[in-house]
Amino acid sequence: MKTLKMKRITQALGLMGIVMMAALITNPVYAQTQAAVTASVVDQQLTVKGKVSDDKGPLLGVNIVLKGGKVGTVTDQNGAFTFPRALNPGDTLIFSFLGYEKQEIKIDAETTFINLILSSDLVEIMGAVSTDKPYKSKRSKN
Amino acid sequence: MKTRLYVLLFIVAWPSYAQLSDFDHINFRKADSTAMACKDEGLYNLPQLTQKLTSHLDTDVERFRAIYLWVCTNIANDYSLYLKNKRKRYKFKNDSLKLSAWNDRFKKVIFRKLLKQKRTICTGYAYIVQELAKLANLDCEIVHGFGRTSMTDIERLNAPNHSWNAIQLNGKWYLCDPTWASGIPNPETNVFKFQYNDGMFLTNPQLFAVNHFPLDLKWTLLEGEQPSFEDFLAAPVIYGKAYTNLTEHVTPKKMHHIIQKNDTVLFKYQLHQDVDPDKIRFLIDNGYNNKKIKPTSTLIDEKSLTLEHLFDTTGFYDVHLYIGDDLISTYTVKVKS
Repeated sequence: MKTLKMKRITQALGLMGIVMMAALITNPVYAQTQAAVTASVVDQQLTVKGKVSDDKGPLLGVNIVLKGGKVGTVTDQNGAFTFPRALNPGDTLIFSFLGYEKQEIKIDAETTFINLILSSDLVEIMGAVSTDKPYKSKRSKN
Repeated sequence: MKTRLYVLLFIVAWPSYAQLSDFDHINFRKADSTAMACKDEGLYNLPQLTQKLTSHLDTDVERFRAIYLWVCTNIANDYSLYLKNKRKRYKFKNDSLKLSAWNDRFKKVIFRKLLKQKRTICTGYAYIVQELAKLANLDCEIVHGFGRTSMTDIERLNAPNHSWNAIQLNGKWYLCDPTWASGIPNPETNVFKFQYNDGMFLTNPQLFAVNHFPLDLKWTLLEGEQPSFEDFLAAPVIYGKAYTNLTEHVTPKKMHHIIQKNDTVLFKYQLHQDVDPDKIRFLIDNGYNNKKIKPTSTLIDEKSLTLEHLFDTTGFYDVHLYIGDDLISTYTVKVKS
């Protein structure tokens, strides 16, 4: 009984393995056909990693998105990131973080690691508060 | 033919300022409900937040509306932070090195607070509106300058104290003030209370200029002669409710008036919509007691409100204009014998 159950599990695992393998194998094939269709030399898919810091050190939580897309990631406590999708040369990544100047980095064929230093936004901090307290003239007491 | 031409010339020459009424054909309900649906979103992922706020909306003005309303209804104004900054800026106002060092240090505090607690002061509001707008490919600017309220020491307003936004939509620039639109601190406890004021969204630049003076005068968005800083300091105090009720504060241009007994003072405004004339009242305060009275004459004609008031007793008065329960503006009148 037990062995039968084990057998089923290994069967299931095997099937999953095959499916995963198939997914992995079909991926590059797809890339090739796409390259053939566009008849372009740009067929290189890049995995981009990197590190983002400011003048003090690594920045946690910097947003990184692909320009014009929905894919994105954030940096970890070491300022490090791995972009979740393979990129094509010509893609642009947008780095943004509250209080820092937004930066765009264009990916070229050699880009594998981006070491980026964000500079903090030049803002003067000030604030007046709205109020509905009626104005009151100062009067001399006499 | 000739008269027609003149009429046409008149229409062309009359400055019609960029304001909310340009978008009368657009219903903001969808944009507003999108902003409300994002109530629990944080600021940790700005691109994603922008995406959620704007991706289902069709026009730039709706996209900006959703961003602006989200900021106004989710970011709290930190009054203690404001006071601290005000003190330091005043202290260092003649020492640019110390001021800049303070600003650098304070900036870090501000952005940390904004991120973690969604609390800020007005530069933070203007900044986050700009950041989100930029991520939505909208052209948005932070405008620094002077803001006047009944609580700012108007005679001593010597350092910039306020920031707001200009936004370009369909090729025209518009003004908005997310800080003042978000709410007000409780007058007694100073605890901030959200109370969204829709009047500060794409406001008529003429009304905006009554209590906003930008450091760079191009951001008044006024055509022709620009207001001087002296004019700005001498202008009447207007309140948040002026923005919900008025599209323009026409006259008087000054806060303080000295008149003779039995003289009449003229007041003129443009209203968002016609109101019941019985709701227009002056609260007149002589320093000892006050009374709410009807103006001597009230005329409302096609959203244009004209009031006249005759002062028949000598004295020094704070004159507050009310429409219903809404406090609109304040003037002082000294009546001499």
